[in-house]
Amino acid sequence: MFKKIQDWFDERIGLTELINEFNGERIPRRGGWAYTFGSLLAFLFTIQVVTGIFLLFYYVPYFPMARNATYYIKHHVLLGNILLGIHLWAAFTMIFFLLVHMARVYFSGAYKKPRELQWVAGMVLFSVVVVLGLTGYMLIGNENSWWTINVLTNVASHTPIIGGFLRIIVRGGTETSVLTMQHIFAVHVWLLPLVVIMFIPIHLFLIRKTGHQGMALEYKNSKLSDDDPNKWIKPDGTVPFFPDQFYKDMIVALGVFAVVYFLAVYYGAAIGPMYRPLALNFAPEADWYFLANEELLKYFPGHGLIIFSTFLVPTIGFAILFALPFIDRGHERSPFKRPAATVLGILFLLLLVYLTLIGGEPKAPATV
Amino acid sequence: MAKSSEESPSRRTFMTVVIGLISAIVGVAVTVPILGVVLSPLFKKRDIVWIELGSTSDLQKIAPLTPKFVPVYFRVKEGWSVNTLPRQVVVVKDINGNFYFFSNQCTHLGCPLHWIPARQKFLCPCHGGMFNVLGKVVGGPPPRPLYEWVHKIEKDTVFIQNKFLNNPKERGI
Repeated sequence: MFKKIQDWFDERIGLTELINEFNGERIPRRGGWAYTFGSLLAFLFTIQVVTGIFLLFYYVPYFPMARNATYYIKHHVLLGNILLGIHLWAAFTMIFFLLVHMARVYFSGAYKKPRELQWVAGMVLFSVVVVLGLTGYMLIGNENSWWTINVLTNVASHTPIIGGFLRIIVRGGTETSVLTMQHIFAVHVWLLPLVVIMFIPIHLFLIRKTGHQGMALEYKNSKLSDDDPNKWIKPDGTVPFFPDQFYKDMIVALGVFAVVYFLAVYYGAAIGPMYRPLALNFAPEADWYFLANEELLKYFPGHGLIIFSTFLVPTIGFAILFALPFIDRGHERSPFKRPAATVLGILFLLLLVYLTLIGGEPKAPATV
Repeated sequence: MAKSSEESPSRRTFMTVVIGLISAIVGVAVTVPILGVVLSPLFKKRDIVWIELGSTSDLQKIAPLTPKFVPVYFRVKEGWSVNTLPRQVVVVKDINGNFYFFSNQCTHLGCPLHWIPARQKFLCPCHGGMFNVLGKVVGGPPPRPLYEWVHKIEKDTVFIQNKFLNNPKERGI
């Protein structure tokens, strides 16, 4: 019976061939577990899309109502707290594993020729996902959302020349208003997810186009020198994507999903109080992945220097990350054979962790 | 029958140009209204209203150099709806009896300031900006003194506008 159905499809569209073509991709053998982060991110993104769509059944993108709609989802919709919790914790997990994935690629030199475009496409995905996180934070409509919108649009207003216009466009006017929320909603729900959905296939297509380019440990048996591009074409051993690599991907996905689910059920999503523009004693807080930037904003005082923290440092930082494969053009892959890149990467990560930790310290001026 | 592109190179060029032209026309035709929709807020005039803050005789009663937080509610048109914008007016009387009507938003990036009586300072909870009671920056990253609301006094009544003085770039609102 099953065979008959398969034959019916094969006769018309060659389905089996198509599936084999997709699943038969050969993956370098030794680093299997290290290569699971990409699929994990695709998995988490799928979770975000599915949960997000059904949150829209109740959500209202209107400032005075958004927070109460979110509250309703959490407290009055059957199992709504779990759906909302998954959406929140999967978002956090996604940003965390994006950083892990990027660090893995960075330290194993996987962005090097011929994989430059792969890295650039990945950076597009990274930037978009961070903005998705921030806009999601704003959509809750609670007190933090209100001040985050104000602060971030003010940050944007310090962009040279176009800053003021940018802020008006994002806010839909001079002040944060109902139009601001509507814009953020459209960006979070339509615009950016579509960009992600377009770039994931590009990212995947580029993997197949550039062939197997594994970590240095895949080429231990190779007698070619590191400068020989042919060395990186032939790993010592490969396995088919399905089921060998896919099996590992699924195990990792299950493990992470279990954690996300636990956090969603046990901690859920904190909604917080209604926004109050009149607040006299409220200390706004950014999400954890934005704390490093937040901390940075404290260090550049005065009219002349403010542009460093709001525009120059983040922009130059992102530009360097985007251009990484064009800056670091050596053929070495192993992190031990390119100590400068490895040490810089570790220092950058330490700086990020340090800024995040001190940025997360309670900053209550009410303590006199 | 028209020649195929394989039979005639000029035909190939012609068809490529037509494909390109059609894409360009449709692209521009769709992009122009999208740009209009996105940039529309730049062309909208802001709804500016006056609102009553209180009588001057009441304000005379407040102690000098002690800020008084007075909430005001601006009814303004925002997009397709009329909304109430609650805002704080920080009224300060200096030792000469002059009044200042500050906004409680930090001039750095707009967080809500806290008044710390023991230190006689406004503190920003976000990035540590500090202002003295007359709105001057005394610490942290803020680039300029506190914003002052546009105000006028008519027949013993103080009116406030939803607009800041000396704020050409309309930052911080």
